[in-house]
Amino acid sequence: MRDSPNFSSSAQRHDSVIARVRARRLSRSRNHQGSAITMNFAPMIDMTFLLLIFFLVTTTFERAEGILASKLPTNTGRHTASLPLVPIVVRVQQVDSDHNAFHISLDGFDAQPTTFTALTAVLLNIQAQPGFDNETPVVIVADQELPWDHVVACWNATLNANCQRVAFGD
Amino acid sequence: MRHERRRRETSSGISFNAVPMVDVIFMLTIFFMLVSRFSSAEQIPMELPKPEHSQASVAKIPERVIINCRVNSLLPSGSMQAVYSVGPNQPESLDVVARRLAAMRKQSPNLKVVVRADRRLPYAEVREVMRMLANNNIDMLNVVAHVNEEK
Repeated sequence: MRDSPNFSSSAQRHDSVIARVRARRLSRSRNHQGSAITMNFAPMIDMTFLLLIFFLVTTTFERAEGILASKLPTNTGRHTASLPLVPIVVRVQQVDSDHNAFHISLDGFDAQPTTFTALTAVLLNIQAQPGFDNETPVVIVADQELPWDHVVACWNATLNANCQRVAFGD
Repeated sequence: MRHERRRRETSSGISFNAVPMVDVIFMLTIFFMLVSRFSSAEQIPMELPKPEHSQASVAKIPERVIINCRVNSLLPSGSMQAVYSVGPNQPESLDVVARRLAAMRKQSPNLKVVVRADRRLPYAEVREVMRMLANNNIDMLNVVAHVNEEK
């Protein structure tokens, strides 16, 4: 069996494989000695992936929200005595059947603005008239069924017109 | 050095260069870490009013309680009725909310109330909250709206 040519060639192949493995091991150990310190990246990449996936999943892109502040009339009667000025009454009425349609009117004024941006301009015009200024109280009277969005938009329009005293009426 | 690298590459066959991948992952991680804001449990997701040229300002109110007014999702979509809740609590009737508020006002008299109401709700539903606040002698009304993004 040992003398057969086939076996000798396979034995040679075996030897050469062993030699190659040894050489590889040697080069690897030499490598280790050469670079002295190596860094194991695997745990770091694991952690980074974990953080990345966490933030990917938890992040929600939201619009920032802010606060509109105003005074409410209280039941003590403190605020009712000090209003000798005639207020500007802004009425926002719902146009029937359509929830989003609205009609703006101002008591004692002809102007009928169609948008809340136009309402700001109308209020600024009124403030420029004699007897009115931004201290003149503004009372918002809105329909009970009007969407809250329009009420806030109306309130915001009065704030855009720099009105200092805004109240809600019935 | 060069010799060793070549030897290693030939021995392993295919090699994988992880450096650009790590770079990109780090960049994405830092981006999401900076961008993400953890919304508090009090701020229940809802459609807030979006006025044009909003005057709403982002303000930190130290002693404040949030009253959430959401659309009642149990009712059919046409009827807009509000459900009220104090902060992250379960929905309650307005009377219970008023009682809670009165108890909180006893503990901290400078308590500020912030009303977060859905933009689709009828004015009457939010007006009820305003009346309740006035009955509790709360004279400041803080309403939440989206801030102007054009600035």
